Amino acid sequence: MTDLIREAIAAEADERVDPRTVMAELQKKRRRKPFGLIAGAGLTAAAVAVAVTVLVPRTEPSINVATAPPAQPQTVLLMGLDDYFHTDAIVLVHVDANGALGSVSIPRDSVVDIPGFRRERINEAYTEAYLDPKGEDPDVAGAKSLVKTVEQLTGTKIDHWASVKMSAFGKVADVLGGVDVCLKAAAKDTFSGADFPAGRVRLAGDQALAFLRQRHGLENGDLDRVARQQAFLGSVVAKLAQQPDKLGDIVKAINPSVKVDDGWDVLAFAKQIKQQVASGVIPVGVGDPMTPGLAVDPAAVREYVKTPPTKDPDTCVR
Amino acid sequence: MPEGYEQFVADRLDRLLRYATAMTCDKHLAQDIVQNVLIKAQRRWDRINAMTAPYLYVKRMVTNEYLSWRHRKAARDLATEHAKLAEIGPAIQDHATQHAERDAMRKRIAMLPRQQRAALVLRFYEDSTDAEIAEILGCTEGTVRSHISRALSTLRATQPFAEEALR
Repeated sequence: MTDLIREAIAAEADERVDPRTVMAELQKKRRRKPFGLIAGAGLTAAAVAVAVTVLVPRTEPSINVATAPPAQPQTVLLMGLDDYFHTDAIVLVHVDANGALGSVSIPRDSVVDIPGFRRERINEAYTEAYLDPKGEDPDVAGAKSLVKTVEQLTGTKIDHWASVKMSAFGKVADVLGGVDVCLKAAAKDTFSGADFPAGRVRLAGDQALAFLRQRHGLENGDLDRVARQQAFLGSVVAKLAQQPDKLGDIVKAINPSVKVDDGWDVLAFAKQIKQQVASGVIPVGVGDPMTPGLAVDPAAVREYVKTPPTKDPDTCVR
Repeated sequence: MPEGYEQFVADRLDRLLRYATAMTCDKHLAQDIVQNVLIKAQRRWDRINAMTAPYLYVKRMVTNEYLSWRHRKAARDLATEHAKLAEIGPAIQDHATQHAERDAMRKRIAMLPRQQRAALVLRFYEDSTDAEIAEILGCTEGTVRSHISRALSTLRATQPFAEEALR
């Protein structure tokens, strides 16, 4: 029944008056002011490069393994945020002494114990701390809370974290002149505004965001969305490889949307990545229809993250 | 003009309108409320912007504006609700299409008490946590859960072929 309720409420919400009308009303009472330009791209540039590189299955080593110095093993947590402080993408990334990189996605609906809070969908770990940051910068408090939660869930010590607002990826797609993905079937959904034909689709702006956000109407809901995130980022990297001069524009677009923890030398981290060997999703059970969430067995997760299986990049997604 | 206010409005206006429309089931009332609230918010934008979650605060302002909306409007509400009740009959029988089922649900939601509907919209449209809803409605989390569970049982009780739908 809750799906029907969601649909009904969304249909009601769709009846809203045109925002432009309201905007015009409001603008009668104020004058325009130009937005400031964004500066200081150095660290975030690296973070974005890492976020993009790291999330994507790669087949060829990017650096000559034989001549590169040994890497320092590190584990980092990457989080993609929606507009309401929810972490819609959660990716645990590990690089070992050989520079081999593995990434494991954690579906946001996984029900886990959130330290200092309660048993909840992992999605709430960031949000809860963000809304009650106890004097800390809310973004940092949120990230730390998710880090603690994932550490407890996976039994892995996390060295660093980075967060990216997912809304920035619409701009990334625009800068690249569209990002190509392949859909197994047509998809339409009023929640996200998604409306795609089956087959190869070039995504830009709002449609790129809708592609990354849609989970309603997909056979496996959020799990299909995780696959979409990986496909989208894979395509971004492929496009970027063709037009590397666009990196500067991407950084400019995404810069205000990225945060990295203070002590992380992102550039050094990025340099030691030589190849991606594995990318996967933690094992999850089926959800309870009345309390949204996916059952998670922490023991199985701990076992899984030790050796995530190598996965062929699947070019078409749901 | 406070810095950041325009960006906030540009980013959030559509979402606020949708939220207010879903909560009030009256797009014109929703427009009035959102406009009034944004004008008020502009005057004290520096303070709001310094908060942990400005959007949540503005959403709370919108919600309060609606929940404290009484007087003549309340009487009209009741009349509309009865009219809507009368319309439900045919919609229920014609449940062949998803569309009809959804519209019937919309009407049942429109008849819920305002507090319950606000909680429901926050939970199922805004994906808010109990704590967030409690903050927005200015009540305890226990009250939030009670609003939502009451709303759900009302909707369940009035739903045609409820057993099938719950499966």
